[in-house]
Amino acid sequence: MIVDLHPTEDQRMIEESVRAFLADRLPVERLREPAHQGGAAEAAAWAELTALGLFGLGLDEARGGLGLGLAEEALVARALGLHLVSPSVVAQMIAPHLAPDDALRAALVAGETRAAFANRIGEAGGHLIDGAGASHAVLLAGGVALIGIDALGSPEPVDAIDETVRIARMLAAFPAAPRDAASDRALLLLAAYLTGIAQATRDMAVAYAITREQFGQPIGAFQAIKHMAADMATRAAAAEAQCFHAAVTFGRGLDDGIEAAAAALLAETAALANAGANIQIHGGMGFTAECDAHLYLKRAHLLASLAGGRRLHQRRLLGTAS
Amino acid sequence: MKIIESPELDAFRDECRAWLADNVPREKRPPEGPAMRDFDLAWQKRQYEGGWAGVSWPKDYGGRGLSVLEQLVWHEEYARAGAPPSGSMFVALSHAGPTLIVSGSKAQKARHLPTILRGEENWCQGFSEPGAGSDLAALKTRAVIDGDHLVVNGTKIWTSYGHLATWQELLVRTDPDLPRHKGISWVICDMRTPGIDIRPIKAMSGLTHFCQVFYDDVRIPLANVVGEVNGGWRVAMTTLGFERGTGTIAHQIELSNTVDRLIAAARDLPAADGRGRVIDDGAVVADLATLRAEVLALRSLTAASVSRGMREEVPGAEGNIVALWFGELSRRVHAAALDLLGPRGLERGGDHDWPLHYLEAYKWAIGGGTSEIRRNAIGERVLGLPKGPSAR
Repeated sequence: MIVDLHPTEDQRMIEESVRAFLADRLPVERLREPAHQGGAAEAAAWAELTALGLFGLGLDEARGGLGLGLAEEALVARALGLHLVSPSVVAQMIAPHLAPDDALRAALVAGETRAAFANRIGEAGGHLIDGAGASHAVLLAGGVALIGIDALGSPEPVDAIDETVRIARMLAAFPAAPRDAASDRALLLLAAYLTGIAQATRDMAVAYAITREQFGQPIGAFQAIKHMAADMATRAAAAEAQCFHAAVTFGRGLDDGIEAAAAALLAETAALANAGANIQIHGGMGFTAECDAHLYLKRAHLLASLAGGRRLHQRRLLGTAS
Repeated sequence: MKIIESPELDAFRDECRAWLADNVPREKRPPEGPAMRDFDLAWQKRQYEGGWAGVSWPKDYGGRGLSVLEQLVWHEEYARAGAPPSGSMFVALSHAGPTLIVSGSKAQKARHLPTILRGEENWCQGFSEPGAGSDLAALKTRAVIDGDHLVVNGTKIWTSYGHLATWQELLVRTDPDLPRHKGISWVICDMRTPGIDIRPIKAMSGLTHFCQVFYDDVRIPLANVVGEVNGGWRVAMTTLGFERGTGTIAHQIELSNTVDRLIAAARDLPAADGRGRVIDDGAVVADLATLRAEVLALRSLTAASVSRGMREEVPGAEGNIVALWFGELSRRVHAAALDLLGPRGLERGGDHDWPLHYLEAYKWAIGGGTSEIRRNAIGERVLGLPKGPSAR
């Protein structure tokens, strides 16, 4: 199978329009303000996000979507990661694919009915992420399912590592669902989001290394920093290439489970390692809450957890996962 | 981003596969020495006779003139058929030949391109010196014009197959007073010329593939200068390489096969403590799974690189990303093999000589640009960080 990983003109236009919108309306700096956290800024921009066509992008036209593919959805998910957009926007992209009937699907595509991620925690309930305004949950429980949020019991707010999202603890127990094509599609979008974090932190570190001077020169001239940056670029490139290769070939005869698990593993590694390296390159400022570097690290941990974690991806890669 | 569907490419793939199935040598390639060189030349001759010589070379120069996508298909099928590496023909096919095509005179092309394609003569590369490795422009091997000849004195090192090659692409300093990139010439050197002394160097793997070459008043006709005298740096750097990211596909597929082989071994072999199999250890699963993901990413990075190659006139610095990933990964894969296989993995010989492959794998992060030089290039030329002293 010959895979062209260069974006088509249409793909480039979709990605650029989403990136331009996000840079304008949902820049990462918004998260410094508690009033814009927890999906609030996204809720304020909801009509425009819907109008951009995000929520039916990869859905067949016959089912009310734009008839594009997983590659286009992954490009959008990467852009969402670049701007640390609420994970609920990714959940809203996945939900229409899982809707059991036309009416619900149409309402999800139109953004009238809203979805958020719920993450199963073993036998003991789970987390609902940025669930304000959502009536449905995209439940990540091995496999993936769309359920009514009422079935989750009464969620209790908890503080978690990423204080820019609102997390609620649910006590209702959920059975694990089998992994299937739908869950691997969802996994690839989470992986694409993580590659966005890997890219954003690479660029933030490079920009700082060019301007910050010590010993009379930009710190990026020192090989110790330059080589860290080169490794950040390499990790990001490998994760992106695998992610988009898996998205383009999805359902076309390669082992989608292994391809998606590889993408998720590399994307998690790239996002966490790059977010960490970005903090290191920013030095003392990077350790503070005044610098945005910490936001990427915290979000990377949340998304890695939503994607199932590296141990799961590793077992799937060797066919030893249950 | 899309899957390229093409009945023409499918038909071309069938054609490659059929020819390779009938023609790939059945006999084992000798590991080194003149027997290996003769094997490489014979395989090149067979490809020539089948119309498959110089697949990436333009048709005007006797090559097959394949498009980037056809090259990709050819290299994939080549690797799947288990066809031998170009080995001692590599420099001729992938570097010297393309350089002559771009910068050589009519006479130089007529003399050398056909003998390369027909597998009659092979080439080696005389670029690096003991004092000019990563910093190639520091080279000192001196050439003085004497009538219609250059007289060369000095030494070259890491000359792969120097003891087995007929010709050499040689970089010499023709004017030490000019700025260091400006006083260099690119010369065709006949390895049989009097005054050339070749000392093979044994690598840590035990293989003897490269040499140090000493030049003592070696007389080379001025007509063998490619491009202008003192214009050799430009000649060396403008060798486009017609391969556009497709040249490493065989290595990528081989590394992927190695990881599969390791996973199969871990499933088969009893654990060291006698309980269960090697793969029952979660740490082993983590290591092998990560390597499998990384070789899949290598394939994806290669696809990205070929996708760029279809659109670029001159390969960009991004190629360093794939090379860095491959060099580091190759070493880790083989180190994991020794770790997983335990004491039996340390045995030499056998149907898969793991220590040989492990020791040889170190070369990928050194030869053709060390990982550190590649990181400099990625930092400076891809990311735009300030240049250090190594920047060219």
